[in-house]
Amino acid sequence: MKYFKYITVLFIASFISCNDYLDIDPIGQIIPKTVDDYRSFLTTAYASTKEHKVLSTYRGDELSLKSDAVGIEQYEDIFTWNDENPSPLVRSFAYASFYNTIFYANHVIDNKDTMTGAQEEIDQLVGEAYALRALQYFELINLYAVPYNKTTAATDVGIPITTHYDSDKTYPKQSVQTVYDLILSDIEASENLLNTVEQDLGFNYRFSVVAIHSFKSRVFLYQNEWQKSVDASEAALEINANLMDLNTSTDIMPSEYNSVESILALETVASFDLANNASISQTLVDSYEQDTDLRFALYFTPINDAYKSKKSANNKFKCSFRVAELYLNKAEALAELNEHALASTTLLELAKYRYTTEGFEDYTATINGLSLEALKTEILEERKRELAIEGHRWNDLRRTSQAQISKTFGGEIFILEQQDARYVIPFPKDAQISNPNL
Amino acid sequence: MKKIIYLLLLLPTVLLAQEQKTISGNVFDANADMPVIGASVYASSAIISHKTNIDGVIQGAMLGSTTDFDGNFKFTVSSDIKSIIVSYMGYETQKIDVTKNFTGLKIILKEASERLNEVIVTGYQKIEKRKMTSSYAKVKVAEIQQAGVANVDQMLSGQISGVVIAATNGGPGAPAKISIRGTSTLNGSSDPLWVLDGIPLEGNDIPKDFGDKDNIDNLESYAIAGLNPEDIESITVLKDASATSIYGARAANGVIVITSKRGKKGAMRINFNATSFVTQKADFSKLNLMNSDQKVDFELMLAGRSDLKYQSNRGAVARILNNYGEYDNFASNGFNSIGLEAQQEINNLRNTSTNWGDELYQMALNQQYSLSLSGGSDKNDYYFSAGVFDEKGATKGTGFKRYNITIKDNFSVTNKLKVGASLFASQNSSDSYITGVDAYTNPSYYSRTANPYLKVTDADGNYVYDPDLIERSDLNLDYNILEERENTEYELTSNSLKAIFDVNYEFNKELQFYSQVGLQLDFEKTEKFGDENSYYTRKYEQKSRYSDGNGGYSYFLPEGGIIQNWNSDAFQYNWKSTINYNTSFNDIHELDVMVGTEFRKNNRTMIHTKGFGYNPNTLTTTAITDERALSIASFETYRKTYIENAYASFFATTSYTFDKRYTVFGSLRYDGSNLFGVDPKYRYLPLWSMAGSWNLMQEEFMDYVDVVNELKLRASYGVQGNIDKTTSPYVLGEYYQTSILPGNTEEIIRALNAPNAKLRWEKTVSSNIGFDLGLLDNRIYISGDYYQRKSSDLIGLKSVPLESGYSFINTNWATISNKGFELAINTRNIHTTNFDWSTSFNISHNKSLVEAIEIRDEDFKPSLKGHSVNAIFAIKTAGLDSNGLPLFWKDGKKISAVDFYKLTEATDGSQLSREEHRGLYSYVGDGAPKFSGGLINTFNYKQFNFKVSANFNIKQTVKQAPSYHPTLVDPGKNYSTDILKAGTGGFPGLIGYTTPGFDTDLVYNWFNSSDDGRTYNDLDIWVKDISYLRISSIQLGYSLPKEQLDKLKLSRMNFSLEGRNLFVFGSNYDGYFDPETYGSIYAQPIPKIISLGVNLSF
Repeated sequence: MKYFKYITVLFIASFISCNDYLDIDPIGQIIPKTVDDYRSFLTTAYASTKEHKVLSTYRGDELSLKSDAVGIEQYEDIFTWNDENPSPLVRSFAYASFYNTIFYANHVIDNKDTMTGAQEEIDQLVGEAYALRALQYFELINLYAVPYNKTTAATDVGIPITTHYDSDKTYPKQSVQTVYDLILSDIEASENLLNTVEQDLGFNYRFSVVAIHSFKSRVFLYQNEWQKSVDASEAALEINANLMDLNTSTDIMPSEYNSVESILALETVASFDLANNASISQTLVDSYEQDTDLRFALYFTPINDAYKSKKSANNKFKCSFRVAELYLNKAEALAELNEHALASTTLLELAKYRYTTEGFEDYTATINGLSLEALKTEILEERKRELAIEGHRWNDLRRTSQAQISKTFGGEIFILEQQDARYVIPFPKDAQISNPNL
Repeated sequence: MKKIIYLLLLLPTVLLAQEQKTISGNVFDANADMPVIGASVYASSAIISHKTNIDGVIQGAMLGSTTDFDGNFKFTVSSDIKSIIVSYMGYETQKIDVTKNFTGLKIILKEASERLNEVIVTGYQKIEKRKMTSSYAKVKVAEIQQAGVANVDQMLSGQISGVVIAATNGGPGAPAKISIRGTSTLNGSSDPLWVLDGIPLEGNDIPKDFGDKDNIDNLESYAIAGLNPEDIESITVLKDASATSIYGARAANGVIVITSKRGKKGAMRINFNATSFVTQKADFSKLNLMNSDQKVDFELMLAGRSDLKYQSNRGAVARILNNYGEYDNFASNGFNSIGLEAQQEINNLRNTSTNWGDELYQMALNQQYSLSLSGGSDKNDYYFSAGVFDEKGATKGTGFKRYNITIKDNFSVTNKLKVGASLFASQNSSDSYITGVDAYTNPSYYSRTANPYLKVTDADGNYVYDPDLIERSDLNLDYNILEERENTEYELTSNSLKAIFDVNYEFNKELQFYSQVGLQLDFEKTEKFGDENSYYTRKYEQKSRYSDGNGGYSYFLPEGGIIQNWNSDAFQYNWKSTINYNTSFNDIHELDVMVGTEFRKNNRTMIHTKGFGYNPNTLTTTAITDERALSIASFETYRKTYIENAYASFFATTSYTFDKRYTVFGSLRYDGSNLFGVDPKYRYLPLWSMAGSWNLMQEEFMDYVDVVNELKLRASYGVQGNIDKTTSPYVLGEYYQTSILPGNTEEIIRALNAPNAKLRWEKTVSSNIGFDLGLLDNRIYISGDYYQRKSSDLIGLKSVPLESGYSFINTNWATISNKGFELAINTRNIHTTNFDWSTSFNISHNKSLVEAIEIRDEDFKPSLKGHSVNAIFAIKTAGLDSNGLPLFWKDGKKISAVDFYKLTEATDGSQLSREEHRGLYSYVGDGAPKFSGGLINTFNYKQFNFKVSANFNIKQTVKQAPSYHPTLVDPGKNYSTDILKAGTGGFPGLIGYTTPGFDTDLVYNWFNSSDDGRTYNDLDIWVKDISYLRISSIQLGYSLPKEQLDKLKLSRMNFSLEGRNLFVFGSNYDGYFDPETYGSIYAQPIPKIISLGVNLSF
């Protein structure tokens, strides 16, 4: 019986030491707590690459495809706006990956008060999270909903929004106005927190003060809030107004991540297939004055009897915001505000670095001779030339006139009518399957 | 004590003064014809009293002796002793009359009908069979021994009621999927726990779905793979909660306890086994594929149909026609209108025939040897064995080898202290084929789809590359099955060492302390090698493609082969300590209490390396310097993973038996484990059970029933919990690296799963009632059980809206119940001196029911609620219309596909709501068999024995992969002859967009691209009910008679001839190799094996 005493003591002792025995921190796993943990966490969200800009380039009028091109079955239904009966191999526009990025941003924002670390770093990180989230919603709303129209935005059908993870919630579609309100409130929250003015090279995929201003300028432009857009563009230009002078150097493109113009180098704009198995459309080729426009030779390369994009999937081509766009945004907004002279000047500031000296003289002459209406058209044309194959064209077509596009493919002619319903991309199949509210 | 004093008062103690006689003799075992050593032989009524040191206490002792090494005994008693009693554990006690004869007695002991005196090993304790309240089954491996079987799990097929063994794959060393009492989980593992001599074995989970080719093609090492069946003495399967709850949460699916052989007291016994077995080549004709003639006709038919455009330029016939520019001509005007040369070439195809079965499958000669030495003395017993098993698989290029060494020793240090040590060492190697990421090069799949007229090598002996295995529209990576087999290697070598040390200390007769430490070390090495000239390498190279800036592309993969190595080191220790207290009061009350702890830790380190530009001659690789490779996972050259787990458990059992009749049993266990990021309140899981049994034979009224010699009723009830360790209420992340912009690599933390704050325990409640009945002195023995198991809050994957950021989450979402019965009947039909016939029959039935499950709005198929876990849903077809398009039943009428799916012009297909889509389906059957069981007949005639073992499955609904898809028929692939019936009977016709017919374009669009729910795969034409009876083994054995054995100085010599998997009777399983793998186009065939073996004992 005396043995029992010893045994009970042994058991109790082992029970107590048990918890230490079971406390194993698995290698490689972590629950983020410090601002450094959350930084690595947010970097995952930044690292997520999406191909929607590439696919929207196919959908726009910048490319021409041959029906016997390699891998054509992945793109032809996008190219010809065949949303009704696409091939099962067709690539789909990103959807889940946007919301995955939003999940990461939400988590960082939710934990801003419990994060440990230097307040400055926390503010910068949370500011970036707000900006990143706003950017995802901005891209989503411009793919899957009608363009912003102040009068109808409150009733136009938009996309689901979520700012907090909950396993039980439903995701009904919100109106376009609601989504833009969220975007703008996120941008505002971000502005109040960001403290890094410009990011260092290699880290310029992260948001900074100049980036948030550039983003704001684009959002207001798309909303046709011209004055606000101008103010935002100027705020950004105050920090960085450098334009690459193509007259002095054509080593790299102005849109590359290490150019002086780069403000935010986050999104993928081109892919292997776009560079190798598609060529530049005749309309785009024709819009350049090949002799005097220095961008032509820099952006495109002649292969056989067509031109192909020099931009490819390489990380160096990533680009979201750059200085040239600021000038174009400003010029367009000023023109809409009837500031004819200012608009022309702004446009020419950009053009100076893009045309040869003689070309620039001719160009200046042309610009100065235009009426306001014609200037507005020319600014859009210059935008088309400057931001070619950069994921802007489709959005620009949408928010302006939703012009008719005509394409020849496989011997047939395909037409996207003016203001065609197909200017809105339908929700991807897998999203519809998982969310009955779509 | 008191009793003996009274007896002494009654009996005259006249020993010393009396006359004496010497009783001597010899005790032998009836069956083995060997002396019984250590048998007790004692005078039945002689009691001698000795004065002890304590006043008033007299100790009584029986007078007798024990038999020696030769079975002889000799002792002296008083002359008026009338009889002696001879007894030994496991044998029937005999009373021998010694009034007249008392010297040179020859006593033969018969083995006791094992039932009641037996002890059941549960791995934690030994419980006397009569006190056992749980549902279990025990098999002696000697009885189920089959030759040519690599692992013990395959031998259990059809042997034990309630245990359903499904062959997953005929590959050598392939695991069998075992399910005990049905499936009680949706997503977790349903494997039972394997325990070796008290140590739970670690290993990989056996995949659920063998329709997935990765699960068939990947070599993995499983828990029991290293065990040599020759080393196993018996297998006990624990089925209900009261038996398994002591094992904790891992035992939710049942426990299989393996008891290994140990030395028996006596001279050293040497046992040698040699078996040769032949695996026969699979019968390829079972697949019903088209031959060259049929294929050529088929391609011509396709070419002639201008409406079928899918891949129309593939296939030799189309290539020939296009070569001569005659394709359109042929399509319009027929065969005779094309040029004679083209006709000639096409006809030549008919005469070229490659037998893919011969290319892929082989007949193989294999062998198995084992040697064991065992023996012991009073203080010590030892067992040593060594074994070799070598099997070449039925598929060429596959094989399995195993080498085993086992050493065991049990030693009595003192009367009270016993120690034991066992070492099990083994090395397994498995060889297999490499398949790439796609399925096309899996041999089973390829053999079904390669054209019969495709030659493997041309006239000069060079490899002919398959022109129809196309990577992309512009790229053919040159696949040849022979080249691939010769230039690739895939091998898994697993070295395993299990060591078990135990200590048993008896404080006194009632209190015992037992402690056992088990160590398991596994070193696994896998190597995958693809030479420069292999499809595998060519395909891998495509991942390294990049544009070279001039409109073309290059590859940064260096020239050479690709070698991948996985090294996995795993270590587990399991330390169990128990204290047993067994006592009895007043001869009526028996109490057994056990209290114990168990600590377990395991860790595994895995290193995965990839080497490119590998030169098999110099054994070196080339580093990739291109920066692009940094962000592509396929080119990651080194990755190390480390996992560690710890478990601590406390348990106790109590058993109380009243008057040897009523037994009540209870057990309780607390399992704790390391759970990182899991809500702390779930750290310790409770599991408990209660059971009782009633031994009717002890009741007085049973004395009147002579027929019944054993009757026991049992009931048990238990609760256990389980928590999913991968889900956390917190966001858990894992470290990775990435490069977002060039030249800058950063560490990132990637969220593993969506957090789930609402995760709770899974809970399983099981109850069981059963009986054991022995009639006519156990000539008929019946065991039956009825059980119910209900698992609630089961954790499973639920798909969620993509807007949440994830596609799936783990959530508690289902309740499943399983009900069933098991029946086992063993009969000794005929039992005479020379001839013996006994039968063993078992049958079980399990019905699972999904009682609750979260229904998702977006599901295409109806939810499982109200149906079994393996319910099969199908769409009922009603034949074809005149154009070959399928018709469907709706409200008793036959309607067209357009009406059935509500297909409308200019939409993306169907106008059905998701709910209406679910309504298209009907429940057609259960994927788990209604009844399963086995029938074993054993015949013994003098020196011969003959055994037939069969196992059967009755009524199982199976779904096969469709033989063809009506809109995606590729002329470059081969199909089964089912496709020739397309358009007739129930087989839908082949259609293209422009096929004539009413609304064919709508139907075409639907089946081609719009059918998101893939309803075509669920048409009832692909579903069928299967039942089968497989004669798994027919064995004929011959034992050399005693006279011959004596001449050869052997104690035993047996020959055996066995045929395995020879016959299968049952439903039609056309198109597949075996009914067990029906529906899987990737499974290797289950081989027919003939073996010849010899067994010697010295």
